[in-house]
Amino acid sequence: MAVLSLCNVCFSYGTKNVLDGVSYEFEKGKIYAVVGKSGAGKTTLLSVLSGLASPSSGAIYYNGEDIRTIDKYRFRSKYVGVIFQSFNLLTKFTALENVELSMDIAAVKAKDKRERAMALLTGVGLDEEEANRRVLKLSGGQQQRVAIARALSYNPDVILADEPTGNLDGETQREIMEIFRDLAQQGKCVILVSHSPQVAEACDEIYELKRMRG
Amino acid sequence: MYVMKNALKCIGRSKGRNILIGIIVLVISVSACLGLSIRQAAENAKEESLSTMNITASISVDRQSMMKGMQEQGGFDPSSFQAGMQEIQELTVEEMQTYAQAESVSGFTYSLTATVNGGDGLEPVTDSSSAEDDTAQSGGRNEMPGMPGQEMGGMGVDPMGNQGDFTVVGYSGEDAMTDFQNGICVIEEGNIFEEGTASYDCILSEELAIFNGLSVGDTILIENPNAQGESYTLTITGLYSNSESTTADSGFMRGFSTSSDPANAIYMSYPALKSIVDASSAAAVTEIDETTGMETSTAIRASAAGTYRFADVQAYERFEEEARAMGLSDSFTITSSDLTAFENSLVPLESLSTMAGYFLLVVLAIGGVILIVLNLFNVRERKYEVGVLTAIGMKKSRVAMQFLCEIFVVTLAAVVIGAGIGAVSSVPVTNSLLANQIQSQQNSREQTQRNFGRGGFDPGEGTDVSIPDVNEPGQQPGGMGQAMDFVSEISSAMDVTVLLELLGIGVLLTLLASAVSMIFIMRYEPLKILANRD
Repeated sequence: MAVLSLCNVCFSYGTKNVLDGVSYEFEKGKIYAVVGKSGAGKTTLLSVLSGLASPSSGAIYYNGEDIRTIDKYRFRSKYVGVIFQSFNLLTKFTALENVELSMDIAAVKAKDKRERAMALLTGVGLDEEEANRRVLKLSGGQQQRVAIARALSYNPDVILADEPTGNLDGETQREIMEIFRDLAQQGKCVILVSHSPQVAEACDEIYELKRMRG
Repeated sequence: MYVMKNALKCIGRSKGRNILIGIIVLVISVSACLGLSIRQAAENAKEESLSTMNITASISVDRQSMMKGMQEQGGFDPSSFQAGMQEIQELTVEEMQTYAQAESVSGFTYSLTATVNGGDGLEPVTDSSSAEDDTAQSGGRNEMPGMPGQEMGGMGVDPMGNQGDFTVVGYSGEDAMTDFQNGICVIEEGNIFEEGTASYDCILSEELAIFNGLSVGDTILIENPNAQGESYTLTITGLYSNSESTTADSGFMRGFSTSSDPANAIYMSYPALKSIVDASSAAAVTEIDETTGMETSTAIRASAAGTYRFADVQAYERFEEEARAMGLSDSFTITSSDLTAFENSLVPLESLSTMAGYFLLVVLAIGGVILIVLNLFNVRERKYEVGVLTAIGMKKSRVAMQFLCEIFVVTLAAVVIGAGIGAVSSVPVTNSLLANQIQSQQNSREQTQRNFGRGGFDPGEGTDVSIPDVNEPGQQPGGMGQAMDFVSEISSAMDVTVLLELLGIGVLLTLLASAVSMIFIMRYEPLKILANRD
C-alpha cells in the first residue's frame, strides 16, 4: 500500500503553474528520485509533500488519509522527516541539541533521548566530539549528516530530501546514499529530489517532472 | 517543558542581547521600585498616622457659610451679619454633651475660657515697654485703639466686651488638659487643683508667679474687665512650667494681647470658673446699643469649647451625620484641626508621591517602547530560527511561547535585581528627595512670610509623623508665622505590595514587549523564510 499518494496535485505561484495534475504513489521500502530541470517544480513538490505548502487543487494522502485533515505541525513533526537542501539546522545549537530538540517537538517519549540522539548521530557517521560541536563549526557533509539524523529522530515513515548530495564530494555522496539505502531497507519511504544522474541511478524509482509553460 | 528548556538555552546563547535587555529592564525596575516605594511610603505614613492618631473635633458657628449665604441672597452687609451672628447662640456645654452621646464619639472634654484683668497688683507677663501703663485706670493693657473692647469705627461698642490681660481656662477634667497630657506643661511646685472642684483654686505659670512674686498658697485677685469693682479671689495650688511659652511661635499675637501669652494663662476647674462666670452674669448690666440695636453686657467675657474624640477617621466622618440627626443646626460646622494639621504635614510627601507617579509613568512608557523595539529586532534577527522551528513541526504558538519565556526570564531576573537595589536605595533616596521637597515648601512659605513683612520662621525639626498640637486655643495650624511640622523621614519604603506591583510591572512589560513579536511570529511562513534563506 502507498504511504504517500499524490492525486491530481496542482500548485501555482500566482498565475504561474508549477505543478499541474501530478498523480503518483510512493511506497515504503523504496528510494524514489524526483528529477527534472531547474524550475520544473522539484522543490515545490517536496514542499507540498512535507506539508510546508498546500496544493492549489488535488489531494495528498498519507496512509490513505488526506493530509489536510491532519494537523500540519503534527504531520511535519511525526510522519515525514525533511532534509532541506541547505540543511536548515539551528546554528547556535550543537548537532546533538538539534536532534534532541526535534525529538522534543515530536514529543518522543523516551527517557534516554540524549543517548538515542547520540546513537542516531553515530549512525550517520559523527563521533561524540562532533556531535557536541556547534553546527556552524561542522563541515557541509557533517551538517548534512546532522540533518539526516534530525529527520530520523522521531522515526518517520517518509524521508524527504532536497538535493541531499548537492554540495558534497563524491566519497561523502556515496556514504550518504548508503545511509538512504539502509533506511529504505528498514522499511522507510525515501524520496530524494535531485538533478544528479548518479543519485537517480542509485534509486529504485525515478519520477521526472516536466517544466510547465505559462 | 522543552519550550522552557529551549528558552533557557537561547538566553545563554545570546548573552549580548539579553544583557542589554536586562540592563534596560533593570533601570526600569529600579526607577519603578523607587517610584512605587515613594508612593507606598506616603500611603503607609498616612495610614499608620491615622491609625495611631487621636482625632478630635469641635463644633463651631459656620461663619463662612453664613457670609456666603448672605452674599448669594443679595450682598453682604456687615451690620446685618453681626446681628445675625448675635442671634445664633454658641452651643452650651449641655448641648455639646448631647452631641457627645453620638455612637461615633469615643470621648468628650470641655473647657470654659474667660478673659480677666488682674487686681491687687497682679501684672501680666509682658516684654513690651507699655507694661508701665496704669492698668487700674485704663482697665487693662489690651484696650488699645482699634482693638476689641474699644469703639469699633461706626459699629458701636463691641458687644463681646473688653479683652482682659489674662486668660482663665476652666477644664472639665485632667483629660481635657492636653498640654499636661502631652508634657508641654509640667507641675513644678505644689499640686494641680482638685478635679471637678468648685473651689476657686488655680495654677499659674512659673513665669507669672516669679513676675509677681507669688508662690503656692498665695491668693490672687482677678477682675471683670467690663465692670469695675467686680473681683474674685483665687488660691494658687500649684505652679507649672510651659515649654512653649518661651518659643517665638505666638510672639506676633503677644504684641497685641498679653492674654495670648501662654505665661499669662490661669488654669482652674470648669465648675469653679463656671460659678465665677455665672456670678458675673447675674450681676451684669445689660444695655441695648441705640445705634446698632445690639445687646451689650458687663458680664465677664467667656466662651465654652468642647472637644470630641474619635477612634478613627471613619468615626469622625460619621459624627457629622449623627450630630445633624440629633438636631445640630446648619449654622454650625464640625471641624478637626488635627486632621487639617495632619494633612498639612503630609504635603511634601504627597507632592513627592505625585511626582513619583508621573516619573513612573514616563519610565514605563519609555522603557516599554525601548523593549518593544528591542524585541522587534530580536524577532527579525531570529526569523530564520522561527522558520526552522516551524518547518520541523514546532507550532507557532510554542515558538511565540519560547520567545515569551526568554524575555520573561530576563525581565524577572532584572526585576529581582532591581527590587534588591530599590530596596536598599529607596529609603535614603526617598528621604533625600523628601528633604529637598520640604526645603522647597519651607522656602516658599518663608518667602510668603517675608512678602508680608513678617520675617522668616524656624522650620523646626520634623519627626516620623509629627502632628502639631492644635487642640489648645491659639494653636491653629498654618497660622501666621507658625512653623509647619512635615513628615520629613520615612523608615521603610519597600514592602510586599511594592514587590507585587513591581512584579506586575515586569509581567506587563514582558507581555507588552512580547505582544508585537508574537504578532510577527504568527505571521511568518516557514517556507518563505527558508526559501529566502536558500
